[in-house]
Amino acid sequence: MIKIFRKILSLIQGHITVFKHSFKKRVTLEYPEVKPVIPERFRGKPDWYGNKCIGCKLCEKVCPAFAVTVDKLNDNINFKIDLSKCILCGNCMYNCPKSAIKLTSDFELATDLKENLIVNKNSKDELYE
Amino acid sequence: MSNIMKINIGPQHPSTHGVLRLITELDGEEIISIEPVVGYLHRGLEKLAENRSYLQYLPMVDRIDYLGGFFTSYAYCNCVEHLLNCVVPKRAEYIRVLCMELNRIASHLLWLGTFMLDLGASSPLFYCFRDREIILSLFEELTGQRMMYNYFVFGGVRFDVTNEWLNKVSDFIVKFPQCISDYEKIITKNPIFTDRTVNKGILSKNVALQYSVTGPNLRASGMDLDFRKSNPYSVYDKLDFVPAVNHLCDSYGRYLVRIAEMKSSVDIVKQVVRYLKENNGDISANIKAINLKVQEGEYTSYVESSRGLLCCYLRADGSGKPYRVKWRTGSYYAVQVLPQIAKNVNYNDLIAIFGSLDVIMPEVDK
Repeated sequence: MIKIFRKILSLIQGHITVFKHSFKKRVTLEYPEVKPVIPERFRGKPDWYGNKCIGCKLCEKVCPAFAVTVDKLNDNINFKIDLSKCILCGNCMYNCPKSAIKLTSDFELATDLKENLIVNKNSKDELYE
Repeated sequence: MSNIMKINIGPQHPSTHGVLRLITELDGEEIISIEPVVGYLHRGLEKLAENRSYLQYLPMVDRIDYLGGFFTSYAYCNCVEHLLNCVVPKRAEYIRVLCMELNRIASHLLWLGTFMLDLGASSPLFYCFRDREIILSLFEELTGQRMMYNYFVFGGVRFDVTNEWLNKVSDFIVKFPQCISDYEKIITKNPIFTDRTVNKGILSKNVALQYSVTGPNLRASGMDLDFRKSNPYSVYDKLDFVPAVNHLCDSYGRYLVRIAEMKSSVDIVKQVVRYLKENNGDISANIKAINLKVQEGEYTSYVESSRGLLCCYLRADGSGKPYRVKWRTGSYYAVQVLPQIAKNVNYNDLIAIFGSLDVIMPEVDK
């Protein structure tokens, strides 16, 4: 009899705790409308700055997924990154001597075409001069 | 006519925590035998090391155990540092311990939530994920990512912690014991929970030792083996904490051990935060990781991870790539012991027993 009473008591205590929690502040976000706050060090989509790059190919060397390819022909540097291979580890950014690669806060990488995930950039492109 | 029926659980089953296949033989509702089939998540993480440089392999070790990336990172970095004869600055070691202990709390929180979901309780899952989210945000702020950190480097850590970040950790640590007591209020004495866990899935000390089960599962069988105490690595010998041990041997005991372990982790984090606030210093031994060549030799590092003993064996041959890397992870042995402890139990209890072992499939298959 006492056992049953104790069991009921513990169930009531559990329910009270759950009930109290229902008054706590909401922690979820309504995502597409409300964007989360991204910290400064966040590693998202990699970005490359052609005006800083010296074509030393260190990023190619440290990439664990072999996602980065750098081709240098005279002063013209071609940078290619396959985001479907990239694991966003940041090795390229941390080891670049000229800070020419930065992993930005862009985390929305979903796409329906694989070609969109292959980023090909050239130092001659006006945009990156 | 035989009444024995074969049932295939998994590999796509929500309660097997990944892709585990269990071939069970049932007599009515009683389990006669279980045969776990592993390997569906094999990624060849040991072989991958052999054609990559030391630095290239570093981000990959986080993926061995996605709930405890810091433990695997530490084990690998420790091997390389030992072979390089490099001394890690004290502040870096303290930061590493801080990260590992927070990681242990996060890992146990996820275990608690999913274990309760296996038993049919859904509220604790949301509370556990809510509190785990705070830790993950802290990690995100410090390392740049929530799970695959790539934060430990050879000879230290990548970034220093700021006082502001440490204050956030302190805030969390002050609030967290209240969260644990809330879980305990809902779960510990709940008759539905105790009926399904007390005296279910008994793992005796002998069987646990025969199957080399380690970590919280072994400590719940009454064996006081915690590598942080018995073979202190990093700065654990300077920290004051009591490893959780329990003699109940059942699923309920394993639950109590993990709850107690979260509390002891809170104690460790408090001490580490106090040290980091009072002492400054280097955070890295400044090893040039690009073109790193490690002298010939071998070393095994032992880490007490959230799911048992984690070993990393590294053999270097003097070149820029590891000659052989071997991982020993706790979950693998927990899966192997399942046929022993789930013999002659009701089919309904299988998932409850399996959930209590805290198995993470990527860690099993590697």
